[in-house]
Amino acid sequence: MRFFRNKRLFIFLIGFILLVVLVGYTFRDRINVTFAEEFINDAVGWVQYVVHTPVNFTTDVFTNIKDFRNTYEENQILKEQLSQYRSLIYEVQEVNKENEELRDVLDLMESDSIRSHEAIQAIVIARSPERWLEQVTINKGEKHGVQANMLVMTADGMIGKVQSANDVTARVKLLTGFDQFNRISAMVSRDEGRNIFGMIEGFDEETNSLLFRIIEESEKDIAEDDLVVSSGMGGVFPAGVPIGTVKEVTSDQYGLTQIALVEPASDMYDINHVIVLDRAVDQVDESSEAADEEEEDNEE
Amino acid sequence: MKKAYLPLILLVLVIVEGLAINLLPNEIVLSTNLIIAHWVLVFLVYIAVYYDVEDTYYSITYAFIFGLLIDVVYTGILGIYMFSYGIAIYAIHGLQKLLHRNFYVLLILGVTAIAVADGLIYMMYTVIGVTDMIWSDYLLRRMLPTILANLLFLLLLFPLFKKRIVQWSKEQLDRGN
Repeated sequence: MRFFRNKRLFIFLIGFILLVVLVGYTFRDRINVTFAEEFINDAVGWVQYVVHTPVNFTTDVFTNIKDFRNTYEENQILKEQLSQYRSLIYEVQEVNKENEELRDVLDLMESDSIRSHEAIQAIVIARSPERWLEQVTINKGEKHGVQANMLVMTADGMIGKVQSANDVTARVKLLTGFDQFNRISAMVSRDEGRNIFGMIEGFDEETNSLLFRIIEESEKDIAEDDLVVSSGMGGVFPAGVPIGTVKEVTSDQYGLTQIALVEPASDMYDINHVIVLDRAVDQVDESSEAADEEEEDNEE
Repeated sequence: MKKAYLPLILLVLVIVEGLAINLLPNEIVLSTNLIIAHWVLVFLVYIAVYYDVEDTYYSITYAFIFGLLIDVVYTGILGIYMFSYGIAIYAIHGLQKLLHRNFYVLLILGVTAIAVADGLIYMMYTVIGVTDMIWSDYLLRRMLPTILANLLFLLLLFPLFKKRIVQWSKEQLDRGN
């Protein structure tokens, strides 16, 4: 009996140690997942993709029926907006042309801009049932060019970043799950170089909004309904992706800097089609460095 | 072949859990209440109560395996669900020896399992800093809605699986002896 009791204690302690080691090893955002995990995720992802299609179809039918009711009102608003867009399109075309000409003058390649990016279309196939982590799974992976830390957006704006990529699926961390370890450098665009720069520092659950800490004050203070976009200065995400609109401006707990509460531009719960943005400019050109090393090896 | 039924059902539940949030209406999803699908755990309670006999430990083994699978597929932080589910089902397996096998005991054990598992998940996530919810908020906004929602799933499974699991238990575990 005593041996049995000791054995149980022994198993408990071993289990506890195993738990601490496992959690400790896997807790921080890992970019590289182990081969076994990758295999399981891909296999499960494949089945999820199959199951997800009929489930989505039925839920879509329900939302469609709901949508029919306010079609008329929406149509009126959209018509109004359309007329506004026509003049905007003309303006954008002119600006684009001018931009191209100026780039030619400066001998800049298209890919040198921090705005340029390559887009990878993907579908959300599952959402983590653990709501504190706010993760979704998409059906594109390393095979399609998705890599960790790429920006993920919907048509409305940014929704998150790729946390880890498997071979044919990837795990995306949503903006609502961002904390101090996942900052985005962002800005509010103003004319004549008076842009307001800052960082998105995390998500506040009580107010349901992102915290935008303003680093650089401009002469004119930030106002409500200003559009916050990614600035590309962090070196990871491309510039110009809308993040959200300013809801309220407060000062931080020490009263030194201002914090704006930003309402995310896209709906974090009803996501289906997403776009993964691959920043065309390499932040640190690791691949070329590796190539250089290889060349050196060859020379030796 | 029939022995593969239980793991297969558990695997399907793991996969379907990722779509669970689509089934909830938007009003609930967007409110401050958090409802977490513990469908695998609920099915494990059925296995512990109706399949396992006193000296078999299928439910506990499955709890560790499929808890780990949930960690791999949905959270990326390995060990949390694995040990929460494992410990909760271990407790249920122990309690089940003391009580009769009937519907009300199943309900009580189901509630206990969800409360223990989700409580442990909360504790571990608090320790490693994933969440900073205070415990009174947690009880009211996450544990209570989660228990109620999963109890609904438990009731839903009863007419579908109760007889089958008892039958599988008789066929498979008697033959083993």
